[in-house]
Order: sequence, then C-alpha cells, then structure tokens
Amino acid sequence: MIRELKNANRKKGQMKVQQMAFMLVAVTLFFAIAGLFIFRLFFAGVNQAGTDIQEENARLLVSRLASSPEFYCGESFAFGESNCIDTDKVMVLMENIDKYDGFWKVAEIQIRRIYPNEGGIECNGLNYPNCDVFKVYSENVDKGREYSNFVSLCRKENAEEELYDKCELGLLLVNYKEFENE
Amino acid sequence: MNKRGDLQMSFGWLFALIAGAFILFLAIYVTVKIIGTSEEEIDTETAAQIGVLLNPLETGYEDIISTPLENFKQETRITNECDEGDEIDEFGSQGIKASRKSFGGKWTDSINTVYFKNKYLFSRENVEGKKFYLLSSGLHYPFKVGSVIVLTSADRTYCFFDAPEEVQLEIENIQKNIEVANCSDESIKICFEKRSNCDIYVEYDKGLGFVEKKGEEERLFFSQNSLMYGAIFSDEKIYECQVKRLMNRVKILSQIYIEKANFVEQKDCNSNVNTELEILKLAIDDFQNSEDIILIDRLVKEAQNKNQNPICKIW
Repeated sequence: MIRELKNANRKKGQMKVQQMAFMLVAVTLFFAIAGLFIFRLFFAGVNQAGTDIQEENARLLVSRLASSPEFYCGESFAFGESNCIDTDKVMVLMENIDKYDGFWKVAEIQIRRIYPNEGGIECNGLNYPNCDVFKVYSENVDKGREYSNFVSLCRKENAEEELYDKCELGLLLVNYKEFENE
Repeated sequence: MNKRGDLQMSFGWLFALIAGAFILFLAIYVTVKIIGTSEEEIDTETAAQIGVLLNPLETGYEDIISTPLENFKQETRITNECDEGDEIDEFGSQGIKASRKSFGGKWTDSINTVYFKNKYLFSRENVEGKKFYLLSSGLHYPFKVGSVIVLTSADRTYCFFDAPEEVQLEIENIQKNIEVANCSDESIKICFEKRSNCDIYVEYDKGLGFVEKKGEEERLFFSQNSLMYGAIFSDEKIYECQVKRLMNRVKILSQIYIEKANFVEQKDCNSNVNTELEILKLAIDDFQNSEDIILIDRLVKEAQNKNQNPICKIW
C-alpha cells in the first residue's frame, strides 16, 4: 500500500516536471518564432529605407549631374548654358570610368541623344559622334526605376576646316540600386 | 507526508521561477537590443539623408548658393569625417555621422558612418543644433573641380568685419547666421584687418591668402573665395583633408582634360594646354598641406592663361 502511494507520488512528480519541460520548450519556441518574425519585419524596413534613400539620391542627382565637373560644358562652348554636357569629355570619361567606381552612389548613368536619332546605336571610340547612347556607368546590381533630365549635348565639330560647336537634345538617365525586400 | 508535499511544491515553484526569470530576461534583452538597433537605424538614415540632400548643392554657373537644413525633431549632432584616400581610392571620401540628443541630455551612440566620394563638406568636427545652413560655392581650379559645401549650425552667428567688397557682395543676406559689418555681441568675429577682438583673421589678397584662428598656431592657406569659406568655418584637420581630396580630383580631372585635348586635336582644335596640365599633375603629387596652394596657384593660373583660345577652350 505504502509502495503504491510512493509510486503514485513519483509518477505525479515526473508528470509535473514533464509538463514544465514541455511548457518551457513551447514558450522558448514561441519567443524564438516571434523574435524571428520581428527581425524579418525590422530588416524589411531597413532594406526599404535603404532603397528609398537610393531613390532619393538618384532623383536629386539627375537634376544636378550635368553640373558635375566630369560632364559640365564650362566655357568650352559658346552656348554652354546650364544642363549642358560636353560629349567629347564624356567619351574620355568612359575610358577612365574604372576610377569612378561607387563615386555617384547610383547603379547606372546613361546619356541618350533624342534628336537627331540614329536608331539607338551605342557610342564607342569608332562610331562617335554618329551614335545615340552613352553608357557612362553601370553596376551589376538590381536596378530601380530610371530618373531623367533633359540636357544639351555639345561637342566640337569640324566642317570644311572650320571648327564650330554643335549642340543637340539629349536625356540624362540615372538608375538607383534596389535592395531586396525579402 | 506533508513535508514531502511541501518539498514537491517548492520544486515546482522553483522550476517555474527559474524558467520565468530566464524568459523575462530574454524578453528584456531582445527588447533593449531592438530599441538600440532602431536608434542606430534612425541615426544612419539621418546621416544618409543629409548626404543625399547635398546633391542639389552642386553648383553650375551660379557662384554661391545657400540652403537651410531643418525639420530635425530633436537636437542633432552631425559629425564630419574626412578620409583623404590613397593610391587606390584617389577620391577619398566624405563621412557623415548623425546622433540625437535623447532623454537626459545624452547623445545616442552612433557607430555607422555614411560615406560619399563626390561630396566635400567643410565644418567643425561636430556641428550641433536643430537647424543648420549649407553654403555651397564652386571651386574652379583652373577648371571646375567640385562644390565646397560649408555646414554651420543656426545656433552660431558669424560676422564678417572689413571684408573686401567682392566678399561682402557674395555673402550679404545669403543666410541668417552670417552678418556683414554690423556684428552682434555673441557672433564669432571674422576680420580682414588685424584687430584685438577678432576670433578669426583672414589675410586676403585677390582671392589668395590664409586664415588664422585665435588659439591655433597653424595657418590655413586658400585660393579662391570658396576655399576661404571652407578655411573659416572648418577645423584644421577637416580643412586640410578636404583640400587634399580636392587636389586629388584636380589631378584626375587634369588627366581627363589632357586626353580630351588629344581627342579634339583630331578635329583641329589645338589648345596646347597639355604641358601645363602635366606640370600641375606632378606638383599635386608632392602636395602635403594647404601651404602648397601658393605654388599650385601659380601653375593653375598658367594653365588658365593657356586655355584662352576662344574657339577651342578645353574647359
């Protein structure tokens, strides 16, 4: 009788310890899952904030990039007003672009000639100035939407041994880096 | 029997207490960590936004522009960090760090610095306040090199005394914390003639000169008004570093203009600026500190004089 009582008490105690252990595991698991969920939400927010800042950077940069020394017409051209890009200088810049890695903090910079248009031919040392697209800078990353600004594209031209300035209508395009929201 | 029951209860309670304390500790630890990370995120975001807001300050044909930097809900400290770069990273970088005054007047412990390669921010190492001013002026040396952006707190007023007319005209009414001639008592006095009550003395001769600050031995040399503003409003360490970065950019741009001169020569656009630009590049290789500006300035003027062919200007 006494042995049976002892056994019953031991079993009751064991049950309680088991219950407590299960409870402990369940509560720990709950906190772990809740914590993971909070962190996922938090880092999604961080990524979104990062993308928003990159987008804002691209939006503000595109309006002033033509004034950057690497693009700026300066006094080289008689019509060198604001938003003027020196394409002769851009051709040289494209050959030295490896020095500019991460310089503007954007994913891509392109200049497109709108008028006249040769059918979207990409510019290089052989076909310039009979081309339309200057792929100035590009990074191998996820890109967001494009921001653009109208610019004049000016260069030196020589016809019948007379040097003159030629300016055409163009579009400056800037893409920003997009961070994954996973 | 009772004793055993008591023991069993005590064990259960003890177990629950330990488990409860552990869970409570874990919850508090995670909460504190999340709050800390959120504060860090806010500070990093603020620093990145300040850097991005410098984009519209890239000057074009206009000489000088000013804009307020406001809407800070809390007292904010902007830390200016400058890295002058090396042979691999020739542009160096502009670091911006932000922290906010939290409850009890303590500054948040910001550890993340946001870096920009295309910005040149001139200021004291730490600038504090709820409102700031950004003054931007282009450096043309001899071609456009970049925009010198001066950051000041609205809490500090600066007064230009006896400034040459060209300087007065440029800065008069440009921003609220800059006074010209009629100095208020609490303002920091910037004199262009030596006086006893001046905090900053500027030796200015046709855009070339140096800045001396009360209690500091070193002179900060400048050429052009943009660098003069930079020298007036910056700490020595920041000024020297930013000038070095700007000189490195002069060197990189010189190479681009040399190649451009060769490129347009094929179109019979002969500029003859290459010799001067090569000499300028070599002089910049030996650039140590702002004192070397006196030598560089002569070479810059020579290059500028060469670039006067009206139909074939390289910059």
